[in-house]
Amino acid sequence: MNKFLKHIGLLIIPIFLVWLTVELFYRKVPNNYTFKNQLIKSKSETVEVLIFGDSHTFYGLNPEYFSNSTLNMANVSQTIYFDKLLFEKHVSKLTNLKCVVLPIEYTTFSQADNIQEDYWRKYFYASQMGLTVPYIKWYDPKQYSLALTQKFGKTGSYVKTFLNNKTLIGCDKKGWGNTYVSTVDSLELERLSKIISRKHDDGSMDFSKNRERIDVLIQACKEYNIQVVLVNMPVSQPYLSLLNQEEVTAISKISKVFSQTYEHVTHVNLLYDKRFSRKDFHDADHLNVNGAKKCSAIINSVIENL
Amino acid sequence: MLFNTVDFAIFLPVVFLLYWFVFKANIKIQNIFLIVVSYFFYACWDWRFLGLIAVSSLVDFLVGKELAKTSLAKQRKLLLGLSLITNLGILGFFKYFNFFIENFNQVFTLFGKSLESSTLQILLPVGISFYTFQTLSYTIDIYRGKIKPTNNVLAFFAFVSFFPQLVAGPIERASNLLPQFLKARIFNYDKSVLGLKLIITGLFKKMVIADNCARVVDEIFKYYPEQSGSTLFFGAFFFAFQIYGDFSGYSDIAIGSAKLFGFDLMKNFNMPYLSRNLGEFWRRWHISLSTWFRDYVYIPLGGNSGSKFKVVRNICIVFLVSGLWHGANWTFVVWGFIHALCFLPLILNERNTKFKDIADGGKLFPSLKTILQIGTTFLVVVLLWVFFRAETLYDALNYLGGIFDKSLFSIPNVSRGLILFLFVYLIVEWLQRDKDHILEISFIKSKPIRLMVYYAVVFVVFYFAGETQAFIYFQF
Repeated sequence: MNKFLKHIGLLIIPIFLVWLTVELFYRKVPNNYTFKNQLIKSKSETVEVLIFGDSHTFYGLNPEYFSNSTLNMANVSQTIYFDKLLFEKHVSKLTNLKCVVLPIEYTTFSQADNIQEDYWRKYFYASQMGLTVPYIKWYDPKQYSLALTQKFGKTGSYVKTFLNNKTLIGCDKKGWGNTYVSTVDSLELERLSKIISRKHDDGSMDFSKNRERIDVLIQACKEYNIQVVLVNMPVSQPYLSLLNQEEVTAISKISKVFSQTYEHVTHVNLLYDKRFSRKDFHDADHLNVNGAKKCSAIINSVIENL
Repeated sequence: MLFNTVDFAIFLPVVFLLYWFVFKANIKIQNIFLIVVSYFFYACWDWRFLGLIAVSSLVDFLVGKELAKTSLAKQRKLLLGLSLITNLGILGFFKYFNFFIENFNQVFTLFGKSLESSTLQILLPVGISFYTFQTLSYTIDIYRGKIKPTNNVLAFFAFVSFFPQLVAGPIERASNLLPQFLKARIFNYDKSVLGLKLIITGLFKKMVIADNCARVVDEIFKYYPEQSGSTLFFGAFFFAFQIYGDFSGYSDIAIGSAKLFGFDLMKNFNMPYLSRNLGEFWRRWHISLSTWFRDYVYIPLGGNSGSKFKVVRNICIVFLVSGLWHGANWTFVVWGFIHALCFLPLILNERNTKFKDIADGGKLFPSLKTILQIGTTFLVVVLLWVFFRAETLYDALNYLGGIFDKSLFSIPNVSRGLILFLFVYLIVEWLQRDKDHILEISFIKSKPIRLMVYYAVVFVVFYFAGETQAFIYFQF
């Protein structure tokens, strides 16, 4: 037995060292989660507009073009579940907050909890943004080690990004995702639209859970005298045409109902907005730098008129 | 708790250390400990079904004891019937109730009568097909006088619930595994090292081969009407490796884990894609199930003896039941039936046991004849997997129709790297075909080089693992 344990130990030591290095990497190298956590804490008394949401708002709304003091708290694949947790954690400290921008995407209502997209992200929200995530159980080992949350291949690509860019932070000082610059050609757009629309089509029309979350968030905003802007962010027309139109219509309708029910809620539907052309998109459903500038100006004018 | 998760990576060493250091005092304590951790392991999926395992174990333990007490044929049959009804009843209710009700309703609808039998919302307990077959083999073997019943209830419960093989086999025979729970376990260095090698091999098959294929397969099967014939063919090709990597990977981890506790489980896969005909394939694929059906269905039906009609009937029954065992769907039944049709010419011409030796033994390269034999068998198996993977018969037939299209000769829209990787893997299997497993590299005399190979495999497992997927066979 001793010989076996000794050999196991020898085998495990290099693996342990690799694990330790990766753990240190995740704990020490700043990323979007740690950066945005710092950002909201440092600007808690001055921020007037807070943008939530996933990659569509992360890349699509640039606080630079807002006249009020604005922070972009959106993040890639951030669901309404985490938007709500973030809001609830910080709202009492955001003494100057006047408006919350909440995107209503194709997946916002139908998205299930704890899906593959959230699989590793939830540990980062818990560990690096200090959120209490109810579906992480105390006995889940991954909450104690971020290195265990990612495949090694993925960690490898993060290390590579870090070595190339000297940072893992993919946003500017106000939280806007500034890495989407280019525009894809028509052929690529068609191809991407097909892939992405399939990825987003979860086949569910059960909106109850997420609708309730938004409702709770809206009501909380009312308590704090905060305006809410619900935005259907612009997407490319090839992508939009491939989505389930029944679901698209239902989503817009629900957003409209929110704005009709609550006085402090404004609905902005940019899905069919003619001001956006193919040139404004980085890919099928994300705005590029120019698109973000245009979209930010539109939302800013809406907020100014509230 | 999946074998390919961090949870199991923590669970296994903790249980291992407690087993050998804390609970080593005597067999009784070790068996109690194994029952507790096995039930805990199962409860991590769904504790509500623990009762089923306990009931199945208790009934078969008691039936076994009673069978030993009586020599009256009628009473013995009644006792065996009780065991069969309990186990097959549990299996039938949880796995097939809705399937039969739905089909019953459809048959009546065909005859113009509408039947209002409603289906139930029934969850399928993980591993139910495996442990019910395992306990059944115990009572059947006692009934046949092949084994003697045990009086040791703890050993029996541990035998049924032993966590490495509880949820997806290998389906062990009482004659092999139960005696191991009755004798003292002594730690064996070589056995444990072999266990670790098998665990690493299994993780490689599951996390690198199966999980990487799964992503591609899901996409191709989901959108099959838009794919070219060549892409569809490679979709089936990748599924062949997905299910192989998935299930044989699971079996390797199960066998390896059992060895760490001093147990020897039967081999479940033996490089099946190197088979030269379907007879050989079925001796190498899911061996514990194939031999179970052979011993408890095929031979009692008469086996190879009797008229040709009877042999054909027996083969068809075994393959149909085997298909249905995999799932309550006609796709599995048809999959089994077509395998039966392909298998029949072999058995009628007594060629099913033709290839019992190692292909081209002692040679580095396969002969052209061997390549053709392996290639043909593999092609048949790959095409038939379409029935196994498709959600409906309609989808399976359309998928196959899509393959045999002129676009079969177009360039497939799949990863060339993955195809190359799988071929390389097959070549490695070919080179290791006379070994017990692919990581048997004792022929490399240099210890540092062997260690480097192990590290390389571990690195590949960690680095190239696909998105974590549940094991396919858990649903059976």
